[in-house]
Amino acid sequence: MKIAVIQFPGTNCEHETLVAARAADLSGEIFRWNRPAEELCAFDGYIIPGGFSYQDRLRAGAIASKEPVMDALREEAERGKPIIGICNGFQILVESGLLPGLGGVDVALASNVMVSKGEIARRGFYCAWTTLRSETPARRCSGSFLLDKGDLVSMPLAHAEGNLVTADEDLMERLNEEDQVVFRYCDEGGRVETEFPVNVNGSLENIAGICNPEGNVLGLMPHPERSSFAWQLPPTDSAKSAGDMTAPGPGRRIFESMRRYIEVMR
Amino acid sequence: MKINLRVSLKIPDAEAATVKNTLRRRMGYGAVLAELGKERLWSIEVDDSVADPADLAGRLARELVNENKESYKATVDSIDFEEGYVPVKVGLRIEDGEAISAQNRLRNRLGFDMVRSVERSMVWKLYLRTEEPERAAEEIAKGLLINPHKDYYEIMR
Repeated sequence: MKIAVIQFPGTNCEHETLVAARAADLSGEIFRWNRPAEELCAFDGYIIPGGFSYQDRLRAGAIASKEPVMDALREEAERGKPIIGICNGFQILVESGLLPGLGGVDVALASNVMVSKGEIARRGFYCAWTTLRSETPARRCSGSFLLDKGDLVSMPLAHAEGNLVTADEDLMERLNEEDQVVFRYCDEGGRVETEFPVNVNGSLENIAGICNPEGNVLGLMPHPERSSFAWQLPPTDSAKSAGDMTAPGPGRRIFESMRRYIEVMR
Repeated sequence: MKINLRVSLKIPDAEAATVKNTLRRRMGYGAVLAELGKERLWSIEVDDSVADPADLAGRLARELVNENKESYKATVDSIDFEEGYVPVKVGLRIEDGEAISAQNRLRNRLGFDMVRSVERSMVWKLYLRTEEPERAAEEIAKGLLINPHKDYYEIMR
Protein backbone atom coordinates (compact mmCIF):
# COMPACT_ATOMS: atom_id res chain seq x y z
CA MET A 1 0.00 0.00 0.00
CA LYS A 2 1.63 3.12 -1.22
CA ILE A 3 0.42 6.59 -0.46
CA ALA A 4 1.41 10.00 -1.79
CA VAL A 5 1.92 12.89 0.61
CA ILE A 6 1.21 15.95 -1.51
CA GLN A 7 3.66 18.81 -1.16
CA PHE A 8 2.70 22.30 -2.33
CA PRO A 9 4.98 25.33 -2.06
CA GLY A 10 4.59 26.27 1.61
CA THR A 11 3.59 22.85 2.89
CA ASN A 12 5.59 22.19 6.06
CA CYS A 13 4.33 18.95 7.61
CA GLU A 14 5.06 16.52 4.80
CA HIS A 15 8.02 14.75 6.40
CA GLU A 16 6.45 14.06 9.79
CA THR A 17 3.23 13.03 8.04
CA LEU A 18 5.16 10.48 6.01
CA VAL A 19 6.93 9.23 9.15
CA ALA A 20 3.56 8.80 10.86
CA ALA A 21 2.09 7.01 7.85
CA ARG A 22 5.07 4.64 7.64
CA ALA A 23 4.69 3.88 11.34
CA ALA A 24 1.19 2.68 10.46
CA ASP A 25 2.66 0.30 7.85
CA LEU A 26 1.85 2.47 4.88
CA SER A 27 4.65 2.98 2.42
CA GLY A 28 4.78 6.19 0.53
CA GLU A 29 6.60 9.17 -0.76
CA ILE A 30 6.35 12.91 -0.93
CA PHE A 31 4.70 13.98 -4.17
CA ARG A 32 5.57 17.47 -5.34
CA TRP A 33 2.65 19.42 -6.73
CA ASN A 34 4.33 20.01 -10.08
CA ARG A 35 5.06 16.39 -10.91
CA PRO A 36 2.99 15.06 -13.81
CA ALA A 37 -0.43 14.71 -12.27
CA GLU A 38 -1.10 11.43 -14.07
CA GLU A 39 1.56 9.78 -11.89
CA LEU A 40 -0.85 10.06 -8.99
CA CYS A 41 -2.88 7.10 -10.17
CA ALA A 42 -0.03 4.78 -9.11
CA PHE A 43 -0.84 5.39 -5.44
CA ASP A 44 -3.45 3.77 -3.24
CA GLY A 45 -4.21 6.83 -1.15
CA TYR A 46 -3.27 10.44 -0.58
CA ILE A 47 -2.58 12.81 2.27
CA ILE A 48 -2.51 16.58 1.91
CA PRO A 49 -0.53 17.67 4.95
CA GLY A 50 -0.50 20.91 6.89
CA GLY A 51 1.43 24.09 6.34
CA PHE A 52 0.86 27.30 4.46
CA SER A 53 0.46 26.43 0.80
CA TYR A 54 1.28 29.50 -1.27
CA GLN A 55 1.80 31.41 1.97
CA ASP A 56 -2.00 31.42 2.48
CA ARG A 57 -2.17 34.10 -0.22
CA LEU A 58 -5.72 35.24 -0.99
CA ARG A 59 -7.03 32.85 1.68
CA ALA A 60 -5.85 29.55 3.08
CA GLY A 61 -6.01 26.77 0.48
CA ALA A 62 -7.49 28.89 -2.31
CA ILE A 63 -4.50 28.96 -4.65
CA ALA A 64 -3.48 25.32 -4.17
CA SER A 65 -7.07 24.25 -4.89
CA LYS A 66 -6.65 25.45 -8.49
CA GLU A 67 -3.56 23.37 -9.23
CA PRO A 68 -3.81 20.53 -11.80
CA VAL A 69 -2.82 18.04 -9.12
CA MET A 70 -6.17 18.72 -7.44
CA ASP A 71 -8.05 17.76 -10.61
CA ALA A 72 -6.12 14.50 -10.61
CA LEU A 73 -6.92 13.97 -6.94
CA ARG A 74 -10.60 14.56 -7.68
CA GLU A 75 -10.48 11.77 -10.26
CA GLU A 76 -8.80 9.44 -7.78
CA ALA A 77 -11.40 10.33 -5.17
CA GLU A 78 -14.14 9.41 -7.65
CA ARG A 79 -12.47 6.01 -7.96
CA GLY A 80 -12.95 5.60 -4.22
CA LYS A 81 -9.35 6.06 -3.13
CA PRO A 82 -8.87 7.64 0.29
CA ILE A 83 -7.71 11.22 0.72
CA ILE A 84 -6.99 12.81 4.08
CA GLY A 85 -6.44 16.56 4.36
CA ILE A 86 -4.83 17.76 7.56
CA CYS A 87 -5.10 21.43 8.59
CA ASN A 88 -4.05 23.31 5.44
CA GLY A 89 -4.87 20.12 3.57
CA PHE A 90 -8.42 20.36 4.91
CA GLN A 91 -8.56 23.99 3.79
CA ILE A 92 -7.43 22.97 0.29
CA LEU A 93 -10.05 20.22 0.11
CA VAL A 94 -12.76 22.70 1.14
CA GLU A 95 -11.66 25.29 -1.41
CA SER A 96 -11.52 22.65 -4.15
CA GLY A 97 -15.05 21.48 -3.36
CA LEU A 98 -13.93 17.94 -2.48
CA LEU A 99 -15.28 18.55 1.02
CA PRO A 100 -18.01 18.28 1.98
CA GLY A 101 -18.30 17.21 -1.63
CA LEU A 102 -21.83 18.32 -2.44
CA GLY A 103 -21.08 19.85 -5.80
CA GLY A 104 -19.45 23.21 -5.12
CA VAL A 105 -17.67 25.18 -2.46
CA ASP A 106 -20.13 24.46 0.33
CA VAL A 107 -18.36 25.77 3.44
CA ALA A 108 -15.53 28.07 4.43
CA LEU A 109 -12.85 27.74 7.08
CA ALA A 110 -12.79 31.25 8.45
CA SER A 111 -10.60 32.98 11.04
CA ASN A 112 -10.76 31.52 14.52
CA VAL A 113 -13.10 33.18 16.99
CA MET A 114 -12.83 31.99 20.58
CA VAL A 115 -16.04 32.65 22.51
CA SER A 116 -16.11 32.33 26.30
CA LYS A 117 -19.08 33.23 28.51
CA GLY A 118 -20.81 34.73 25.51
CA GLU A 119 -17.96 37.13 24.79
CA ILE A 120 -15.21 36.94 22.21
CA ALA A 121 -12.16 36.12 24.31
CA ARG A 122 -9.59 36.06 21.54
CA ARG A 123 -9.20 35.61 17.81
CA GLY A 124 -6.76 34.26 15.32
CA PHE A 125 -3.95 31.73 15.59
CA TYR A 126 -4.24 29.14 18.32
CA CYS A 127 -2.05 26.18 19.19
CA ALA A 128 -3.12 23.59 21.77
CA TRP A 129 -3.77 19.96 22.50
CA THR A 130 -7.34 19.06 21.82
CA THR A 131 -9.61 16.07 22.14
CA LEU A 132 -11.74 14.88 19.24
CA ARG A 133 -14.84 12.74 19.55
CA SER A 134 -15.54 10.36 16.71
CA GLU A 135 -19.07 11.05 15.53
CA THR A 136 -19.55 8.29 13.00
CA PRO A 137 -19.75 4.50 13.19
CA ALA A 138 -16.65 2.51 12.37
CA ARG A 139 -16.03 2.04 8.64
CA ARG A 140 -17.98 5.18 7.66
CA CYS A 141 -14.91 7.16 6.71
CA SER A 142 -11.43 6.31 5.47
CA GLY A 143 -9.63 8.26 8.18
CA SER A 144 -11.76 7.00 11.07
CA PHE A 145 -12.32 3.49 9.73
CA LEU A 146 -11.14 1.84 12.95
CA LEU A 147 -12.80 4.29 15.32
CA ASP A 148 -16.19 3.65 16.84
CA LYS A 149 -18.72 6.35 17.42
CA GLY A 150 -17.84 8.07 20.69
CA ASP A 151 -14.16 7.14 20.66
CA LEU A 152 -11.87 9.95 21.80
CA VAL A 153 -8.61 10.86 20.11
CA SER A 154 -6.25 13.57 21.33
CA MET A 155 -3.95 15.51 19.05
CA PRO A 156 -2.60 19.03 18.78
CA LEU A 157 -3.83 21.74 16.50
CA ALA A 158 -2.17 24.90 15.28
CA HIS A 159 -4.07 27.15 12.92
CA ALA A 160 -5.63 30.56 12.42
CA GLU A 161 -8.41 29.60 10.03
CA GLY A 162 -10.33 26.54 11.17
CA ASN A 163 -13.68 28.04 12.01
CA LEU A 164 -16.11 26.14 9.79
CA VAL A 165 -18.91 28.42 8.61
CA THR A 166 -21.53 28.17 5.91
CA ALA A 167 -24.14 30.43 4.38
CA ASP A 168 -26.29 27.40 3.59
CA GLU A 169 -28.85 27.13 6.37
CA ASP A 170 -29.69 23.52 5.54
CA LEU A 171 -26.13 22.25 5.29
CA MET A 172 -25.59 21.24 8.90
CA GLU A 173 -28.76 19.18 8.96
CA ARG A 174 -27.61 17.39 5.83
CA LEU A 175 -24.09 16.77 7.15
CA ASN A 176 -25.48 15.38 10.39
CA GLU A 177 -28.09 13.21 8.70
CA GLU A 178 -25.57 11.78 6.24
CA ASP A 179 -22.93 11.11 8.93
CA GLN A 180 -20.48 13.49 7.30
CA VAL A 181 -19.45 15.10 10.59
CA VAL A 182 -16.59 12.80 11.54
CA PHE A 183 -14.96 14.62 14.48
CA ARG A 184 -16.09 17.24 16.97
CA TYR A 185 -13.99 19.10 19.51
CA CYS A 186 -14.83 17.92 23.02
CA ASP A 187 -13.37 17.94 26.51
CA GLU A 188 -11.32 15.07 27.90
CA GLY A 189 -14.52 13.37 29.06
CA GLY A 190 -16.07 13.52 25.61
CA ARG A 191 -18.49 16.34 26.34
CA VAL A 192 -19.07 18.73 23.48
CA GLU A 193 -19.24 22.25 24.90
CA THR A 194 -19.81 25.01 22.43
CA GLU A 195 -17.49 27.58 23.98
CA PHE A 196 -13.74 28.04 24.19
CA PRO A 197 -11.54 26.30 25.23
CA VAL A 198 -13.42 23.14 24.17
CA ASN A 199 -14.54 24.69 20.91
CA VAL A 200 -11.11 26.00 20.05
CA ASN A 201 -11.97 28.09 17.01
CA GLY A 202 -15.70 28.84 17.00
CA SER A 203 -16.42 26.16 14.43
CA LEU A 204 -20.08 25.44 13.75
CA GLU A 205 -21.30 22.66 16.05
CA ASN A 206 -17.71 22.08 17.22
CA ILE A 207 -16.80 20.52 13.89
CA ALA A 208 -13.17 19.43 13.68
CA GLY A 209 -13.44 17.09 10.71
CA ILE A 210 -15.85 16.19 7.93
CA CYS A 211 -15.95 13.65 5.12
CA ASN A 212 -17.53 13.54 1.70
CA PRO A 213 -20.79 11.62 1.14
CA GLU A 214 -18.86 8.51 0.03
CA GLY A 215 -16.63 8.62 3.11
CA ASN A 216 -13.30 8.24 1.32
CA VAL A 217 -12.27 11.90 1.63
CA LEU A 218 -11.67 13.26 5.14
CA GLY A 219 -10.50 16.68 6.26
CA LEU A 220 -9.60 17.61 9.81
CA MET A 221 -7.95 20.64 11.36
CA PRO A 222 -5.87 18.98 14.14
CA HIS A 223 -2.64 17.15 13.33
CA PRO A 224 -2.71 13.35 13.86
CA GLU A 225 0.93 13.11 12.74
CA ARG A 226 1.87 15.12 15.82
CA SER A 227 0.43 12.54 18.19
CA SER A 228 1.46 9.36 16.43
CA PHE A 229 4.24 8.43 18.87
CA ALA A 230 4.33 8.45 22.65
CA TRP A 231 7.32 10.81 22.57
CA GLN A 232 5.10 13.47 21.02
CA LEU A 233 2.54 13.44 23.83
CA PRO A 234 2.35 15.96 26.68
CA PRO A 235 4.39 15.09 29.78
CA THR A 236 1.21 14.48 31.74
CA ASP A 237 -0.05 11.81 29.36
CA SER A 238 0.03 8.33 30.89
CA ALA A 239 1.17 6.76 27.61
CA LYS A 240 4.27 8.90 27.74
CA SER A 241 5.02 8.28 31.38
CA ALA A 242 4.86 4.52 30.67
CA GLY A 243 8.34 4.89 29.32
CA ASP A 244 8.29 3.50 25.78
CA MET A 245 8.72 6.64 23.73
CA THR A 246 8.24 4.80 20.44
CA ALA A 247 4.86 3.39 21.43
CA PRO A 248 1.93 4.51 19.27
CA GLY A 249 0.16 7.72 20.13
CA PRO A 250 -3.56 8.28 19.57
CA GLY A 251 -3.09 10.03 16.23
CA ARG A 252 -1.72 6.83 14.72
CA ARG A 253 -5.31 5.53 14.56
CA ILE A 254 -6.02 7.92 11.70
CA PHE A 255 -3.23 6.46 9.59
CA GLU A 256 -4.05 2.89 10.64
CA SER A 257 -7.62 3.59 9.60
CA MET A 258 -6.45 4.70 6.19
CA ARG A 259 -4.38 1.55 5.81
CA ARG A 260 -7.29 -0.67 6.81
CA TYR A 261 -9.63 1.23 4.48
CA ILE A 262 -7.27 0.57 1.59
CA GLU A 263 -7.02 -3.14 2.51
CA VAL A 264 -10.78 -3.53 2.63
CA MET A 265 -11.58 -1.47 -0.45
CA ARG A 266 -9.02 -3.08 -2.72
CA MET B 1 -18.94 61.09 7.06
CA LYS B 2 -16.75 58.31 5.79
CA ILE B 3 -12.99 58.52 5.38
CA ASN B 4 -11.59 56.04 2.88
CA LEU B 5 -7.96 55.03 2.92
CA ARG B 6 -6.84 53.17 -0.19
CA VAL B 7 -3.60 51.45 0.77
CA SER B 8 -1.26 49.82 -1.73
CA LEU B 9 2.19 48.30 -1.46
CA LYS B 10 5.26 50.18 -2.64
CA ILE B 11 7.16 46.93 -2.71
CA PRO B 12 6.28 44.10 -5.13
CA ASP B 13 2.94 42.56 -4.24
CA ALA B 14 3.53 38.81 -4.13
CA GLU B 15 -0.09 38.03 -3.35
CA ALA B 16 -1.34 39.96 -6.37
CA ALA B 17 1.26 38.22 -8.55
CA THR B 18 0.13 34.80 -7.30
CA VAL B 19 -3.53 35.60 -7.93
CA LYS B 20 -2.69 36.86 -11.41
CA ASN B 21 -0.67 33.73 -12.21
CA THR B 22 -3.44 31.47 -10.95
CA LEU B 23 -6.06 33.24 -13.05
CA ARG B 24 -3.90 33.29 -16.15
CA ARG B 25 -2.19 29.91 -15.95
CA ARG B 26 -4.69 27.76 -14.09
CA MET B 27 -8.10 29.24 -14.76
CA GLY B 28 -8.03 30.14 -18.42
CA TYR B 29 -7.84 33.94 -18.20
CA GLY B 30 -4.53 34.22 -20.05
CA ALA B 31 -6.04 36.13 -22.95
CA VAL B 32 -8.47 38.14 -20.85
CA LEU B 33 -6.55 39.29 -17.80
CA ALA B 34 -3.85 41.76 -18.80
CA GLU B 35 -2.82 42.90 -15.33
CA LEU B 36 -3.99 42.72 -11.76
CA GLY B 37 -3.43 45.00 -8.80
CA LYS B 38 -4.61 45.12 -5.23
CA GLU B 39 -5.40 47.73 -2.59
CA ARG B 40 -6.51 47.41 1.00
CA LEU B 41 -9.45 49.69 1.70
CA TRP B 42 -10.17 51.08 5.16
CA SER B 43 -13.58 52.76 5.31
CA ILE B 44 -13.83 54.67 8.56
CA GLU B 45 -17.11 56.22 9.61
CA VAL B 46 -16.49 59.32 11.75
CA ASP B 47 -18.63 62.00 13.37
CA ASP B 48 -20.03 64.53 10.91
CA SER B 49 -18.77 67.29 13.18
CA VAL B 50 -15.14 66.66 12.23
CA ALA B 51 -13.84 70.04 11.01
CA ASP B 52 -10.86 68.96 8.96
CA PRO B 53 -11.38 65.49 7.49
CA ALA B 54 -8.19 65.63 5.42
CA ASP B 55 -6.12 66.19 8.55
CA LEU B 56 -7.98 63.39 10.34
CA ALA B 57 -7.37 61.08 7.38
CA GLY B 58 -3.65 61.75 7.65
CA ARG B 59 -3.65 61.02 11.37
CA LEU B 60 -5.64 57.81 10.87
CA ALA B 61 -3.26 56.76 8.11
CA ARG B 62 -0.31 57.11 10.47
CA GLU B 63 -1.90 54.37 12.59
CA LEU B 64 -3.18 52.08 9.81
CA VAL B 65 -0.55 52.45 7.11
CA ASN B 66 3.10 51.44 7.26
CA GLU B 67 4.63 54.08 5.02
CA ASN B 68 7.93 52.20 4.86
CA LYS B 69 6.28 49.75 2.50
CA GLU B 70 2.83 51.16 1.79
CA SER B 71 1.36 54.28 0.28
CA TYR B 72 -2.20 55.54 0.55
CA LYS B 73 -4.79 57.81 -0.99
CA ALA B 74 -7.43 59.36 1.23
CA THR B 75 -10.90 60.40 0.13
CA VAL B 76 -13.96 61.56 2.00
CA ASP B 77 -17.28 59.83 1.38
CA SER B 78 -16.90 58.86 -2.27
CA ILE B 79 -14.19 56.78 -3.92
CA ASP B 80 -13.28 57.51 -7.51
CA PHE B 81 -11.35 54.68 -9.07
CA GLU B 82 -9.17 55.34 -12.08
CA GLU B 83 -10.12 54.28 -15.60
CA GLY B 84 -8.68 51.17 -17.20
CA TYR B 85 -9.58 48.48 -14.70
CA VAL B 86 -12.60 46.97 -13.00
CA PRO B 87 -12.38 47.44 -9.23
CA VAL B 88 -13.76 44.47 -7.32
CA LYS B 89 -14.22 45.01 -3.62
CA VAL B 90 -14.04 41.88 -1.46
CA GLY B 91 -14.99 41.94 2.20
CA LEU B 92 -16.13 39.60 4.91
CA ARG B 93 -19.83 38.86 5.23
CA ILE B 94 -19.12 37.39 8.64
CA GLU B 95 -17.81 39.45 11.54
CA ASP B 96 -14.41 40.97 10.76
CA GLY B 97 -12.27 40.63 13.86
CA GLU B 98 -9.43 42.70 12.45
CA ALA B 99 -11.74 45.61 11.69
CA ILE B 100 -13.21 45.42 15.18
CA SER B 101 -9.71 45.34 16.69
CA ALA B 102 -8.72 48.37 14.60
CA GLN B 103 -11.81 50.25 15.70
CA ASN B 104 -11.19 49.46 19.36
CA ARG B 105 -7.53 50.43 19.05
CA LEU B 106 -8.35 53.74 17.40
CA ARG B 107 -11.13 54.66 19.81
CA ASN B 108 -9.98 53.22 23.10
CA ARG B 109 -6.20 53.42 22.97
CA LEU B 110 -5.29 56.10 20.47
CA GLY B 111 -7.88 58.73 21.32
CA PHE B 112 -9.83 58.82 18.07
CA ASP B 113 -13.15 59.35 19.84
CA MET B 114 -14.77 60.53 16.60
CA VAL B 115 -14.47 57.08 14.99
CA ARG B 116 -17.84 55.33 14.82
CA SER B 117 -17.04 52.24 12.82
CA VAL B 118 -14.27 50.68 10.79
CA GLU B 119 -14.72 48.50 7.74
CA ARG B 120 -11.86 46.66 6.06
CA SER B 121 -11.90 45.22 2.57
CA MET B 122 -9.68 44.45 -0.39
CA VAL B 123 -10.04 46.00 -3.80
CA TRP B 124 -8.79 43.87 -6.68
CA LYS B 125 -8.03 45.93 -9.78
CA LEU B 126 -8.65 43.78 -12.85
CA TYR B 127 -7.28 45.04 -16.16
CA LEU B 128 -9.36 43.05 -18.62
CA ARG B 129 -9.22 42.63 -22.38
CA THR B 130 -12.77 41.68 -23.19
CA GLU B 131 -15.97 43.16 -24.54
CA GLU B 132 -17.69 42.50 -21.24
CA PRO B 133 -15.19 43.35 -18.52
CA GLU B 134 -17.70 43.51 -15.69
CA ARG B 135 -19.05 40.09 -16.54
CA ALA B 136 -15.52 38.68 -16.57
CA ALA B 137 -14.81 40.43 -13.27
CA GLU B 138 -17.87 38.80 -11.72
CA GLU B 139 -16.70 35.40 -12.96
CA ILE B 140 -13.27 35.96 -11.49
CA ALA B 141 -14.72 37.13 -8.19
CA LYS B 142 -16.96 34.09 -7.88
CA GLY B 143 -14.35 31.68 -9.21
CA LEU B 144 -11.39 32.71 -7.09
CA LEU B 145 -11.53 35.96 -5.16
CA ILE B 146 -14.24 34.98 -2.70
CA ASN B 147 -15.46 32.03 -0.75
CA PRO B 148 -19.19 32.82 -0.74
CA HIS B 149 -19.65 31.34 2.71
CA LYS B 150 -17.58 34.07 4.32
CA ASP B 151 -16.91 36.76 1.70
CA TYR B 152 -18.93 39.10 -0.47
CA TYR B 153 -17.85 41.02 -3.54
CA GLU B 154 -18.97 44.24 -5.15
CA ILE B 155 -18.07 45.64 -8.56
CA MET B 156 -17.24 49.26 -7.71
CA ARG B 157 -18.43 50.89 -10.96
